[in-house]
Amino acid sequence: MIVTMTRHSPDRIDAPSVRFDRVGLRYDSSEDVLSDLTFELEQGAFAFLTGASGAGKTSLLRLIYLALRPTHGEVYLFGQRVSQLRRAQLSALRRRVGIVFQDFRLLEHLSAYENVALPLRVQGQKEPNYRADVEDLLNWVGLGERLHARPETLSGGEQQRVAIARALVSKPDLLIADEPTGNVDPNMAERLMRLFAELNSRLGASVLVATHDHGLIARHNAPVLRLQNGLLVRDGQERAG
Amino acid sequence: MSRATTTPRESPLLPESDAREVALLFVVAALCFLAALVALSARSSYGAAAEWTSASEGELTVRLRGVDARAAGRAEALITEIEGVAQARLIPREEAAQMLAPWFGSNGLPAGLPVPTLIEVSAVPGAGELADSLTSALGAAGFDALIDDHAQWGQDVRRALGMARFAAFAAVALLVATAVAVIAFATHAALLARRDIVNVLHLSGAPDPFIANLFERRFWLLGLRGGSIGAVAALGAAALLVFALGSHAERTWLLPRLSLDFWDFLILLLTPIIAGFASRIAARRTVLNELARTI
Ligand SMILES: Nc1ncnc2c1ncn2[C@@H]1O[C@H](COP(=O)(O)OP(=O)(O)OP(=O)(O)O)[C@@H](O)[C@H]1O
Ligand SMILES: [Mg+2]
Repeated sequence: MIVTMTRHSPDRIDAPSVRFDRVGLRYDSSEDVLSDLTFELEQGAFAFLTGASGAGKTSLLRLIYLALRPTHGEVYLFGQRVSQLRRAQLSALRRRVGIVFQDFRLLEHLSAYENVALPLRVQGQKEPNYRADVEDLLNWVGLGERLHARPETLSGGEQQRVAIARALVSKPDLLIADEPTGNVDPNMAERLMRLFAELNSRLGASVLVATHDHGLIARHNAPVLRLQNGLLVRDGQERAG
Repeated sequence: MSRATTTPRESPLLPESDAREVALLFVVAALCFLAALVALSARSSYGAAAEWTSASEGELTVRLRGVDARAAGRAEALITEIEGVAQARLIPREEAAQMLAPWFGSNGLPAGLPVPTLIEVSAVPGAGELADSLTSALGAAGFDALIDDHAQWGQDVRRALGMARFAAFAAVALLVATAVAVIAFATHAALLARRDIVNVLHLSGAPDPFIANLFERRFWLLGLRGGSIGAVAALGAAALLVFALGSHAERTWLLPRLSLDFWDFLILLLTPIIAGFASRIAARRTVLNELARTI
């Protein structure tokens, strides 16, 4: 089955951000979690990924952010066939992807500020240069007063917002968010979604948000990929191209 | 919101320290202490013995029988002429009598006792075996001479020392190997506890060498610090030992001496560096192995 996202900016001729070609995934000996997925996420697209708990949303995202190799099939990222890349090239691709992990994965020994700055440091940027960006972003997610707080002193929702700021700070070409609004109230959820929308519309980044929040999906006019029995079913509205 | 001027400097991507690393530091220091102490004492006893054997080497004693004072003088002159001889000295009868005093008491030797005529010969350094040329030269001149060579004795001492040194070397090698193994093991444990950090860095696009370098630098410093502590402690212990023995023992010439020459300093300098490299290499290998499991 093929699900093609409409192009957000029709004049782009670049390769899709993500392309799956008959991708299957199975952990160890269990049965297939994902079977034979073929779809594209065009550059500049905004899409939701949904499905019941255990349907394989996180697994699919892990294939995209290069934490897993598919059991069969091919994954392409920014037009590059992942299976053919060397490790250094994979690292370079990862630097173009922002990830909001379902379980946040903040580093406990670093402050909120330092956690957000992490991807920039990995890119070799130095402290005084990125300070303004990091602080602005933390202000936007409502944590301007908690810059130096350790993750363990933050609430679940606050940790989630730090994780989101970290994923956005490097202005990635592709944003992968796994249940990014699971721990925040509807107002904050909207505020965060606006941040994603802005990254998408202003900077042309592709965004894929996994969620089971139907309200959230309903409020946004974006294509929806639904995982069911290891297969992708397409439903929801399609944004006009 | 004011742009905070209080934002602290970048803190290390790895946590400053944890209990595991304090324990590791202690282990590295203890192992380096033992290794350096063994190496130092092997070095110093070898040094003392070398000095000792070389002092006695190149010295011979010629014993002449049935000669009067004039003949003894001729023999002395003859020996002086032989190639490789630095000096020959006829030991006066009174001196020889003194040497025999323990056996005959202080009343002097019995008048009729044939006291052997002794000539002390010292060789030019590096002259090789003199005993044979002395024997043949003196024999040809008609002397009944016995040559007492210290070389044999020196060889025995050196053989014993060689074995002691080999044992010390083996002990040092074993300690170094143990330290490396312990450090590798501890690095692995520390890395398992840091898996989350490695993972987040990896998925943020940090290349393998970037991540490996973080751990390498951490464990390099840890090894250097532990090694330095151990080396300094070993130096202190060795000095204390020599001081304590030296002030109680009469036969100080038997003691290893701690003169702290170039080689001792080299040992003390190398100990932390070896420890540092051991931990660094172990850290690198463990991190890269761990990362090799990721895609
Ligand atoms: N590392 C793993 N090893 C083995 N099985 C796994 C692993 N990770 C996930 N699974 C299994 O794969 C299936 C899909 O899991 P996944 O986490 O992708 O679901 P999900 O859609 O993200 O669920 P949720 O909505 O609860 O986050 C589940 O049955 C899960 O048990
Ligand atoms: Mg999930």
